[in-house]
Amino acid sequence: MGKFLRKYPISDVIFAFISFSASFVVLSLIVAIAYVLYDESSLAMHRFGVLNFIFSAEWDPVKEVFGAAASLYGTLVTTVLSLMFAIPVSIGIAIFLTEISPHLLKTPIGIAIEMLAAIPSIIYGMWGLFTLAPIMANYIEPFLQKTLGNVPVIGVLFQGTPQGIDLFTASVVLSIMITPFITSVARDALNLTPDIMKESAYALGATRWEVVKDVMIPYAKLGIYGGIVLALGRALGETMAVAFVLGNNHQITLSLFEAAATITVTLANEFTEADSDVYLSSLFYLALILFTLSFIILAVAKFFLLKAERGYSR
Amino acid sequence: MIYNPAHVKKRKIKSYIALSLSTVAAFLGLFWLGFILYDVLRHGIQGLSLELFLEDPAPPGIEGGGLRNAFVGQLLIVFYATIIGVPLGLLAGIFVAEYARGTRFARTISILSDIMVSVPSIVVGTFVYAILVKPVGHINFGGLVAVGFLSAIIAVVFGWFLSFVLSKLFPVKSATTGKFIKLLTALFTTMFGLFIFLILYPKLVDRIQGFNGWAGAVSLAFIMIPVVLRTTEDMLSLVPWTLREAAFALGASYYNVIKDVAIRAAITGILTGIILSIARVAGETAPLLFTSFNNSYFTLDMNEPMASLTVTIFNYAMGPYEDWHTKAWAASLVITVFILFITIVTRTIIGIKYKK
Repeated sequence: MGKFLRKYPISDVIFAFISFSASFVVLSLIVAIAYVLYDESSLAMHRFGVLNFIFSAEWDPVKEVFGAAASLYGTLVTTVLSLMFAIPVSIGIAIFLTEISPHLLKTPIGIAIEMLAAIPSIIYGMWGLFTLAPIMANYIEPFLQKTLGNVPVIGVLFQGTPQGIDLFTASVVLSIMITPFITSVARDALNLTPDIMKESAYALGATRWEVVKDVMIPYAKLGIYGGIVLALGRALGETMAVAFVLGNNHQITLSLFEAAATITVTLANEFTEADSDVYLSSLFYLALILFTLSFIILAVAKFFLLKAERGYSR
Repeated sequence: MIYNPAHVKKRKIKSYIALSLSTVAAFLGLFWLGFILYDVLRHGIQGLSLELFLEDPAPPGIEGGGLRNAFVGQLLIVFYATIIGVPLGLLAGIFVAEYARGTRFARTISILSDIMVSVPSIVVGTFVYAILVKPVGHINFGGLVAVGFLSAIIAVVFGWFLSFVLSKLFPVKSATTGKFIKLLTALFTTMFGLFIFLILYPKLVDRIQGFNGWAGAVSLAFIMIPVVLRTTEDMLSLVPWTLREAAFALGASYYNVIKDVAIRAAITGILTGIILSIARVAGETAPLLFTSFNNSYFTLDMNEPMASLTVTIFNYAMGPYEDWHTKAWAASLVITVFILFITIVTRTIIGIKYKK
């Protein structure tokens, strides 16, 4: 701390103060968001309680009865499904980029995958609505219905008329969106495996896949977890890509081929239409739930990533 | 284990299958990218014309017209977001990476801003709605802050210019006159900034009337701040500490070291970070939905609801008219090309500059 012991001239004092205040803004921003959302939702909190609001599936602006269960359910299903689609693909891409790809192709393919993250979410939404949804409705969903729809137990998931505007399409769009997040974190983590460890495994006669599976992935485990949880946080809060292809229908349905609503979609569609105080307050309540959820999840992701970083530097 | 050729073969086949699958995954990723980009290009190019940029929208259902209002609105909103977000993020990043280097405060701030980067942008939108749209009739603090930063930036540029001219006109003879001139410049710059603010504020900012452009700019700025903060911090911490020590040894104050050594060494990275953050907020829709809302008329007044490209795309794509869909695709093409171009260029610059 020797550097702090020097006597500061006046320009330093002023500049340090100004820049300190700026960094304090970041801190206060988070507190302010939490406080304002809490304050705005207090009316709904009074009327519906906490647990009651979370577990009630009724969403009726006419009778002014609101519950978050339907939106929460939609959020949960799309998030889990999209992670199920995205995790194998993105870890596959990460393995390809670290182990298989010829050196010349590594950078261009890596950049191309990161481009997927740079495309604005509204473009995903447009594309999902006008291109993917018809394909889903005409080809993929009827096919799934014919094959998997007759299987007992999981057949329930594929009932109904395929419209293309449903939980399934939304999850597919979401999974494409979050793939680059998992990929880039997983690739960086895999890249950090010391060459010596890989070489020792090869020397013992391991195949390439065995090296990946038994040496690299265990080594990069924490980083990959971090990436997955980060993507989970992203998927929770994604709005526009889902808003186009989900249909904003407040219902809890077992079938994936039905329109539904997520917290973000409800907010995007109904916020400007909320005509009564309770309605608006309930929407703020939803926003507060979403903020809390994503804050916790992102903090967990950060915890994993920091732990991974510390582990590697050892 | 005893050597068994069949067993080895099985393992080899397994390895081959697994690795092929991950290659397929990579091509799947590339396929999605190509599919989306091709689709945006294919649909967007049909709607692309000069009228799109130069004309205002025709009434609903009537063909023709353009999206001039949305283009101009988007530029204005992003401009003011940059005016607010970049200085705040930059200063905070400097504090975290320099003055508070290695302290618990710095770690907390950078972890929190990492989280802030990924907080759902629609939540930021609801927050800004509550503070800058709902309190009708109150002072618009968003506009106040934006105009404040604008005049501060103008004043700083003016101050640089002034001190440059003064140093050319009166070459400094002694330390006392040098200090005197510096003090005078600082005083004059502050006065000038206040003067600009007092002129601009009443002209640009009105009391809150409901949805307004300032709110949109502020919510984009909130998304921008943590991004700029993190890249500034990262880029500054890449500058070797010995470089600063050399400057300290010459008797420079920390302020001068930051200004003339650290930032100068990291400027490429910081600038690219800023440009990337602009590209990122340019594609945001969710925080604008209930802050700047939408406006089918052309306006330059930030106190009114203001059209932006992204919200217009949302409304047009959800609308019933074929012509609207074409326009939405065209606007999507413009925004995608803009963002991808910026992203690729800045990534290449960073790649060249910070090659290990």
